[in-house]
Amino acid sequence: MIMVHLQEDNFTIQLKHLEELVESHPDDPSNYFDLGRLMWDRGEEWKEKAAEHFLKAAKLNPQNGEAFRYLGHYYSRVCMDTQRALKCYQRAVSINPDDSLSGEALCSLLDKEGKESLEVAVCREASGKSPRAFWAFSRLGFLLVHQKKWSEAVQSLQYAIRGTPSCADLWEALGLAYQRLGMYTAAIKSYGRAIELENTRVFAVIETGNIFLMLGSYRKGIEQFQHALEIWPQNVCAQYGLASGLLALSQECIKQGAFSWATSLLEDASKIAKSSTALAGNMPCVWKLHADIQLTYAKSFPWTESGTLEGEEAFSKSLLSWRRTRHIAAVSAKCSYQRALHLAPWQANIYMDVAVAVELICPIEVKHEDHTSWKLAEKMLLGSLLLEGENHEFWMALGCISGDKALRQHAFIRGLHLDVSLASAWAYLGKLYKEEGEFQLGRQAFDRARSIDPSLALPWAGMSTDISTRERSSDEAYDSCLRAVQIMPLAEFQIGLAKLAVRSSHLLSPEVFGAIRQALHCAPWYPETHNLNGLVSEGRHDYQSAVASYRLAHYAWKTSTVLLPHSHLVDISVNLARALCKEGNVQGAVQELEDLKERGLFDVEGLQIYAISLWKLGKNDQALCAAEDLATCIPTMKLSSAVASICLICSLLYSISGSKSTINRILKMPRELLQSAKVTFIISAVDALDQSSQLQAVVSRSRSILSSQEEIMEMHLLISLSKLIRNGYGQSLSLESGIDHLRKALHMYPNGTSLRNMLGYLLLSRKQRENNHVVQRVCAVVPFDQIKPDFRSAYEIIGAEAVACHATTTWKSKFFISTCKYQSLQGGASLMGLMQRWFRLEPWNQNARYVFILNLLRIAREARYPQHLMSVLKRMTSAALTNELLFNNRCESYKRFQLLLCSSELSLLGGDTSSCVSLAREASNLFLADTYTFFAHLQLCRAHVAEDNHTSLIEELNQCLKLKTDYPIGWISLMIIESRHRLQSGSTFSDSGFRNSIKESKKLENSWLAVYNLFCGLVFQRAQDFLRAEEFIAKACSLAATESCFFLCHGAICMELARKQCDSQYLTMCIRSLKKAQEVSSFHLPFVSLLLAQAEASLGSKLNWDRNLRIEWYSWSPETRPAELYFQMHLLSLRSETTLGPDDRDSPNWVLRAIHLNPSCLRYWRILQKLAE
Amino acid sequence: MKLAGLKSLESAHEDSIWAATWVPATDSRPHSLLLTGSLDETVRLWKVDDDIVLDRTNTGHSLGVVSVAAHPSGVIAASASLDSFVRVFDVDTNNTISTLESPPSESWQMQFDPKGTMLAVAGGSSTSIKVWDTATWQLVATLQIPRPESSKPNDKMATKKFVLSVAWSPDGRRLACGSMDGTISVFDVMRSKFLHHLEGHLMPVRSLVFSPNDPRVLFSGSDDAHIHMYDAEGKSLIGSLSGHSSWVLSIDASPDGAAIASGSSDKTVKLWDLGMRAAAQSMTNHSDMVWGVAFRPPGGAGVRSGRLASVSDDKSISLYDYS
Repeated sequence: MIMVHLQEDNFTIQLKHLEELVESHPDDPSNYFDLGRLMWDRGEEWKEKAAEHFLKAAKLNPQNGEAFRYLGHYYSRVCMDTQRALKCYQRAVSINPDDSLSGEALCSLLDKEGKESLEVAVCREASGKSPRAFWAFSRLGFLLVHQKKWSEAVQSLQYAIRGTPSCADLWEALGLAYQRLGMYTAAIKSYGRAIELENTRVFAVIETGNIFLMLGSYRKGIEQFQHALEIWPQNVCAQYGLASGLLALSQECIKQGAFSWATSLLEDASKIAKSSTALAGNMPCVWKLHADIQLTYAKSFPWTESGTLEGEEAFSKSLLSWRRTRHIAAVSAKCSYQRALHLAPWQANIYMDVAVAVELICPIEVKHEDHTSWKLAEKMLLGSLLLEGENHEFWMALGCISGDKALRQHAFIRGLHLDVSLASAWAYLGKLYKEEGEFQLGRQAFDRARSIDPSLALPWAGMSTDISTRERSSDEAYDSCLRAVQIMPLAEFQIGLAKLAVRSSHLLSPEVFGAIRQALHCAPWYPETHNLNGLVSEGRHDYQSAVASYRLAHYAWKTSTVLLPHSHLVDISVNLARALCKEGNVQGAVQELEDLKERGLFDVEGLQIYAISLWKLGKNDQALCAAEDLATCIPTMKLSSAVASICLICSLLYSISGSKSTINRILKMPRELLQSAKVTFIISAVDALDQSSQLQAVVSRSRSILSSQEEIMEMHLLISLSKLIRNGYGQSLSLESGIDHLRKALHMYPNGTSLRNMLGYLLLSRKQRENNHVVQRVCAVVPFDQIKPDFRSAYEIIGAEAVACHATTTWKSKFFISTCKYQSLQGGASLMGLMQRWFRLEPWNQNARYVFILNLLRIAREARYPQHLMSVLKRMTSAALTNELLFNNRCESYKRFQLLLCSSELSLLGGDTSSCVSLAREASNLFLADTYTFFAHLQLCRAHVAEDNHTSLIEELNQCLKLKTDYPIGWISLMIIESRHRLQSGSTFSDSGFRNSIKESKKLENSWLAVYNLFCGLVFQRAQDFLRAEEFIAKACSLAATESCFFLCHGAICMELARKQCDSQYLTMCIRSLKKAQEVSSFHLPFVSLLLAQAEASLGSKLNWDRNLRIEWYSWSPETRPAELYFQMHLLSLRSETTLGPDDRDSPNWVLRAIHLNPSCLRYWRILQKLAE
Repeated sequence: MKLAGLKSLESAHEDSIWAATWVPATDSRPHSLLLTGSLDETVRLWKVDDDIVLDRTNTGHSLGVVSVAAHPSGVIAASASLDSFVRVFDVDTNNTISTLESPPSESWQMQFDPKGTMLAVAGGSSTSIKVWDTATWQLVATLQIPRPESSKPNDKMATKKFVLSVAWSPDGRRLACGSMDGTISVFDVMRSKFLHHLEGHLMPVRSLVFSPNDPRVLFSGSDDAHIHMYDAEGKSLIGSLSGHSSWVLSIDASPDGAAIASGSSDKTVKLWDLGMRAAAQSMTNHSDMVWGVAFRPPGGAGVRSGRLASVSDDKSISLYDYS
């Protein structure tokens, strides 16, 4: 109250003051204006007085725009005198074009009066006068948008936005203008700005969605519409947009073949469309959209129950429910189209839609006799054509729907009249001609269609049938059909593709697999679909699903309403029997075939399967009978099936009654039938197992038929195997002859991977060390080699070879010095890489893991068991052992044995003797030959040695002696243990055991003897009996004249002897041996030169000492040089003034390095002390 | 005047009901029948008094029934479906008397002339009214809407002038038809001559009816939501009735000529008092678009009170007492 009073007082004071001013200065217009404004703001009853003052002010100062504005307000609001108000506002605007209040008021008044052109003129004038008259620009912009003058509107709106950039209306209008101009990105941006400013702008959101749909980015469009519906759930435009976006997306899905996905999208779309029909039931487009969705649903609803059906009844039931779903959707589409048509009968395309829906519900039969009456669908199309006869789409639809061939041709030709480059018309015309048997014309039409639009599926499919009928090349047909399928996943095309694939050996390609699975969704009623699906599954070795598919094909054939030929059923049954047989259900196969037989529908293939099934069941006699039946049929067969039958008969005969009767049968067969590659292989195989070579003539004749390189190589492989068998005696194989043959064959076909691998394998099996190194060069590792699983892969052979000769390769040369003469060209690193690659390629392959572990162990040993490798190995072996619980055959249990020993060795190295013992014990309990079990006990011996368990050790030793082994290395290891622990008791046994074991291999006898002598020498050396040690080692040297290490050993012993006995004779012997070692070794063996230098020095040859020391220096890698070498180098540098290498500056340096490496040696310290002094 | 809801029959058809008319009583049949046509491809006859009882279901159409018409004698009736297949049948026996086939899109609303000698069919895309002789069932006249002089030959005349509705004047001398572009064309039947256009509607004219009292007065209902009254002879708009919020799909004049009823896609049935030129009543018992309204013709035994029937997309028939 007080405030009001205060204001009241304030007002009266001001009023008085102003009134006084007006009175005192009657010529000053501003006083009048101020007074007027004070009164104007006061309230309604004051307005008239205010207007008087404004009038005075305006009279006194005609340039006062504001006064005119207030007058305008007065006239328009208080007096309702529009004309005067307009004049006042006009005056105000012309005085001050920036006056937005007057401008807006003026425009609103003009708008109310409907004077649009005047409004535009006012805005133009104001905007022309002042660049800051933003109100005028925005008004003008809106007006131009209203008048659909889009490009002008864009200019005005852009200008207006500069003034008021936060006005969402302006942005929205600008977006609309851009959209209408076709500038969609700009439109999206403008709408986006509007939404940013006010996120409830439904119009902008919906239009953005529409633009997205138009541009084909359906997902974005759908998002926009969903957003719009969140703002305004009952908005028909948004619902319509959302439904059509979903429809478009689902059509895209269908095009890609994702029917189930499309169906779920369509279900959503249908719901939305339905709700929008409730909102706007009198919009034909809404009904049409709903119908479109339903129609698409009816066409694409997939049949998805293929996997779970049992029995004919279930199948027909599911088929029926699938059909019903489609039918219901189609009927609903028809009704909705009718509603749309009823609402807008002048829209031509709806007639066509109704026709399409009607056609989908009950297709016109092709041969209806009565040409005079129109079928419903045809008639409805006529409605479209009556309204818009020049629309080629309607003609095309008529051509597709009509049952009358002449009419169809006419329709297509009319379509072409209207649009010459109508590819689809040409395509359908081609199809029509094909049906009529006019192949030439059909081909021409297809060619035209394809050249106009290569992205049309039908001509490709048409071409493929064309090619296949001409039998030109099935590959070409397959390719063009594949293209058709890729363009459009239509069941008909897909079935055709699968059919062509069967013929052209593309059955395994994933395209065919996908296609037939999709075809199943759309054509489950057609037996051929299931049959082909079965064939594809069978090709993929999935016999169970193949059987299921064939059964479904059976049901489909039985429930089919269309009359299908009986041969079809026979095919399905035979396929079923074959799949059953392959699946392992032989009884079922026989059952199936006997059913067929009873009905007298047996064909050659059925007979073949029958024979095999009987044989598998063990009914050999019946199988032979069947084979006999087959043989009688052979002369009447086609060549390919005759060949297959011959192969089958031979194989059956061989496995039932042995090679003799097979040979007789082959000899009886007509020669011309044997002229085929397959038969040749069979005959050759039979021949290989036959010692009497009765078939030699037949084989050599038939071999001439082989032409392709693969076949010839395969045959060489077979021949070499046959030589293995034939030239061997008893149980043993003649490896040499096989190797010889393979060598020759390889000379002819250097690229033969399988030949190479087989050769490598045979070489490895020969167990001759020098050959092993050839293996690596022989074997060829081919990426993705498709060697038959029965053969060893190159990886495995190379890996085995690496294990066989542990010295072949070195992993890291600085840790280990290889003494093997047969250095391979491949480094060890690359071998390990190879193994790892193999393991990575086939992580499931137990062999790969096994070979990899063995190689890794070898490398760990070379590197003196570094910690990280040990832990890797431990993990891998334990994994391998737990994984490979299913070792059953002998070969596998040998692998397990090896892995167990590996693991035990690892535990031993880790100091865990108990687990070492238990693992070795486990290994010894495996059922293997004694010669292998020996090693388990050897391992146990070692474990007990580590445990210091004397009694158990002796027990195990005895066990070893009892078991015996063929491997000399085992005996030597045993002897080492014996000698270490002074267990002389069994030494004679082990001695004789060793001698027995080396008798077997004549060639290696000497080298093993040498090793034995070395061992004896070392034993005596340990016992400080150097003379006898020298004797033995000298013997070893003479036995193995190529082993440098032996000579080094001998040299060292001689040196020691010379030192002990001061006999220069030993020195010369020493020098001789060491020199020999130098000669024999392919590289600088360490120690040799050092010893030699010392020996030479002792004999007084300073020069030689010098030279040899230098050689020694370079025979070490920088990391591994021993302390003594540095010390010697120091001595050398003292003697000779010449400097050695880059890294030898002065003598203290040498000594320091030596001390650094071996600080415990007092000698070095003393020298250093001397040097310091 | 007022309407009172008597009865509403839900699910009278299996799908939307699109057309309704009354079949007058005959000598053998003392009461008049209600004839309805539906999207479910059937035509049904109903005995209507205070209740609605199904008399018969006629099948045979292969698409939705868009229009039904009854002969003034009450003996025969006709039904037309979306595929422009007109079936003329005997009401009592359901014998097919004739089938009139025309290209689809060329049969829409139908009406028998007051004397019963002719059947006029709105010709849709043929932009004409087809007149059939009811004795021989031959096409006797095609009253063509003349092509505007300014139009080019390839102009979409068939779409613009698509004829949706037709009405006979009570004296049988005039025929009027309503087109998709909102114009109404008036013809002289005797001379088979086009007379003039009546303009004023902006959207398709779906329903036409002449006043029973005055052969000059023509009522029209249009998608622009208005009902117009024209002087059909004088070529002038007498008045317009506004009140529907959506398309006017159907109108009918009461037998006494004092009122008209209209059905609309705003789901209402309105009764218009012609004296007041305003809506007297608005019935909202339908839940979807009302496709047909029909007053029961006078006559028949024991019938005093007026009846109005309305049919709708919600599959129901409603019956009102008109007084």
